[in-house]
Amino acid sequence: MARKRGRGMAACWYGIARTAVIDRAAAWAEIDDGGSAKVVTGVTEIGEGILTVLAQIAAHEMGVKPEHVVIGDNDTARAPEASHAGASRQTYMIGNAVALASREARKQLVEVMAEVWDVDVDVIRTGNGEVWAENTNHRITMGEAVQTSKGRGVVPVGSASFGTDTTGLDPVDGSGRPWQAYVFGAQVAEVEVDTVTGEVQVLGIWAAHDVGRAVNPQGVEGQIEGGVVQALGQALMEDYKLDGGHTSTSGFAKYILPTSLDVPRVNSIIIEDPDPIGPLGVKGVGEPAMVPTIPAIMNAIYDAVGVRITALPATPEKVLMAIRDKKRQETERAVQAAE
Amino acid sequence: MPDLQFTATINGRKVARSAKPQQRLLDFIRDDLNLTGNKEGCGAGECGTCSVFVDGVLMKSCLLPVAKAHGATIETVEALAQTGELSVLQTAFHKAGASQCGYCIPGMVMAATAALRANPFADREEIKERLGGNICRCTGYQKIFDAVELARDVQNGRLPATALMETETEDAVIGKAVRRIDAPSKVSGRLRYAADMTMPGMLHVQVLRSPHAHARIVSIDMSAAEAMDGVEGVITCADVPGVDGFGVFVNDQPIMARGKVRYVGEAVAAVAAENPLVAARAVAAIKVVYDTLPAVFDPDDAMRAGAPALHDYAPDNITKHIPIRVGDVEKGFAESDLVVEETYSTQAIEHAYLEPEAGLAYVDHDGVVTIVSPDQNVTHHRHMLARIIAKPISKVRFIMSPVGGGFGGKEDMIYQGMLALLAMKTQRPVRLVFTREESIISTAKRHPSRTTLRMGLMKNGHIRALVMKMICDGGAYGLSTEGVMRKAAILAAGPYVIPNVRVDTYGIYTNNTPSGAFRSFGALQTAFATESHLDICAERLGLDPFHIRRINAMRDGAVTHTKAKLGSVSLTRALDALEKASGWEAGAPHSRGSTRRDLNRADIRPPCALGARFAQGGKQEAAE
Repeated sequence: MARKRGRGMAACWYGIARTAVIDRAAAWAEIDDGGSAKVVTGVTEIGEGILTVLAQIAAHEMGVKPEHVVIGDNDTARAPEASHAGASRQTYMIGNAVALASREARKQLVEVMAEVWDVDVDVIRTGNGEVWAENTNHRITMGEAVQTSKGRGVVPVGSASFGTDTTGLDPVDGSGRPWQAYVFGAQVAEVEVDTVTGEVQVLGIWAAHDVGRAVNPQGVEGQIEGGVVQALGQALMEDYKLDGGHTSTSGFAKYILPTSLDVPRVNSIIIEDPDPIGPLGVKGVGEPAMVPTIPAIMNAIYDAVGVRITALPATPEKVLMAIRDKKRQETERAVQAAE
Repeated sequence: MPDLQFTATINGRKVARSAKPQQRLLDFIRDDLNLTGNKEGCGAGECGTCSVFVDGVLMKSCLLPVAKAHGATIETVEALAQTGELSVLQTAFHKAGASQCGYCIPGMVMAATAALRANPFADREEIKERLGGNICRCTGYQKIFDAVELARDVQNGRLPATALMETETEDAVIGKAVRRIDAPSKVSGRLRYAADMTMPGMLHVQVLRSPHAHARIVSIDMSAAEAMDGVEGVITCADVPGVDGFGVFVNDQPIMARGKVRYVGEAVAAVAAENPLVAARAVAAIKVVYDTLPAVFDPDDAMRAGAPALHDYAPDNITKHIPIRVGDVEKGFAESDLVVEETYSTQAIEHAYLEPEAGLAYVDHDGVVTIVSPDQNVTHHRHMLARIIAKPISKVRFIMSPVGGGFGGKEDMIYQGMLALLAMKTQRPVRLVFTREESIISTAKRHPSRTTLRMGLMKNGHIRALVMKMICDGGAYGLSTEGVMRKAAILAAGPYVIPNVRVDTYGIYTNNTPSGAFRSFGALQTAFATESHLDICAERLGLDPFHIRRINAMRDGAVTHTKAKLGSVSLTRALDALEKASGWEAGAPHSRGSTRRDLNRADIRPPCALGARFAQGGKQEAAE
């Protein structure tokens, strides 16, 4: 058989939010006219879907519909600091800040309605664009509640900041508390290696990742699938080459990226081990999703053809050379044994 | 050359205009018609973001001179939702979560539309082949395939139109696959990224870059450039009014080269002019005299005594060293039954976000220097720029434009400083759009690494000692190297209880393209070593890969290698769930691929048989 299959696995861990410094993020929230909501924060939507995640969180906390949440643009002159898009931090840091700010805004509204209806604040419920009081006939739309609140001189607004309890590392032994939230994960890869050409195809990935709490499971899958495929690129094909400081890979004709024909089926397994510190239980997944992929693929190549690739990328040339070296060594050994 | 008289039918409307002969169809539809839905990703026909229909055929508009489209019927992505209502395919992209950063999506939607026009019954494998000319860096393509299959089935009546709608949610909204709120703007091409934005009176910026890896700048003569018609401003580091220097951890990179250049592609000067062509000609007219210096390209060479030093403050070329120490590794190795040592290396990687760097800057009515760019860290960039241009923070404003992919690469303030200086100098709005080549040569890469790993284990699989030394090429400037070394070191030994650990990570200056932040930030390099190594050791000990990891796994309340106490640890839960979901067959990893029985299950894809369908002589008959 020219084509051989194999499987490999690898595990990972990762820290959520900035490393070995105190991280922080802030948000402002307002339950607005018509039962819509406004959230302003210095968030950076880099494609992971954070705006949708924040809209869901705000909707959940304020009781409005997610499609009625408006999220202000990231602008240093208009929005409170939420810091950068990176370190798998936005759902954790900004999500928790938005939750706290939303709770504050809701509290303003609920206190007015409790007074109007002459009920205890604890029996007031909000959800899906409505406000009601348990065990009463009081039930109005969120838009009516905002109008009532404003009629009493109260604009329901809230603001909040979320920070981490972390420390730097000791310069001598590295001890310290770099993060307050950790995630864990593991992946299995199934590959097919063509022993004539050396080409490796990754046919399947199973990826299990703890995300704390999946606010939007489709978004979590998107992060896992995208992370796996980026790692696959580094594992098998991508290589920024330099010679004397000059690159020979300054375009996509030479710098080879994974296309639709290269990608495996990715089977995501979402694990939820809620973070006990933040108000939501969420953690993060953007970066850890790509950490176990490469060793899982290399371990699978070894399983398939018995060669261990320790220098990335595992290009067809490199894999083929390793297979030939292995065969030659085996032949030499057989000859020696026969002599 | 004289202008062309160009006529065509574009999105159903007759267009008759003059066009520049050097214009590509992409420039004409974006710049002259202000149809910015289709993007430029590479300018070389490699990525597909600019795909349009010309007389019904999917074409890459960056490769087509506008004259070649004379008289043609052209459809851009705007044609698909001309009345504002998304097409079935666009709605399916929304429903399936097929857009992330969105920059490739207009081109992807065009290619997918072409695929279903060519074969309305195309199966998943054919869809993959037909999308093979379009690159997406965010999604891993899975949800794009899902979206095209969904659209196909709705169009063919196999699924009702309601399959495209939001799944009805009860009260709970957390934990639901709520459709992305930004997707309609992305699948329709309506979302404007920085390169799609213009301002009245806007100037165009081009950058002069270093051809040398290491050289002293003897002189820069800008007089010819400044004298050219249409040139409004030329800047060098001499125009920086404040304290120059940016970087995520150490501010060692000047806005433009100061005194010397340290890598090929480093910015040396920049021009703002009435159009990009004049700006490019002016850049070519700047005369720089360089005195080349000895350069160093290998981190091991750079660490040797007597190596050329890149920065005065780091004569040993060490950007950062992070140590982790636990227990006594020599004692741990002495107790071990098996000691395995191996070296691992990883290469430099380009972020390859589909959106090349782009930005606008202007000085507003209150004198606020305002930058609009796809920026992963507006907070820190405002801070640094205020110092660089010597203004109070309240007079510096960063507005994030939609980010067409970042992955860490847009954490560096690599061009925003030049935009600010030119806006201040010309008092006009300015815009800079990188070419793909500029983006690749001048911005940060993933750190290449060389790692030596030594691990000692007991026969029962318990790890007693781990020693890792990783040397990373940080390139010419510090950027995020310090943080990458720190995260790499903290996570190096993996989520395992190991009583004796010694980890050292080193980031080293060289005259290579700088390395910087890249999704997973050092953890990828060390995990490649540690997780490959564990399998090598498992084979030697006759242990299953899951088993050896469980034996050593951190569990609730574990203490990490930085001596931090953990709460709940989900590692064994993840391992259990993964083993079950993948149907893993237990066994030691001794190349048993040919005998395993857990292969070729239904949850993998078939091996690629590229072109087999077309080799059969044309389109396969529809399945129905």
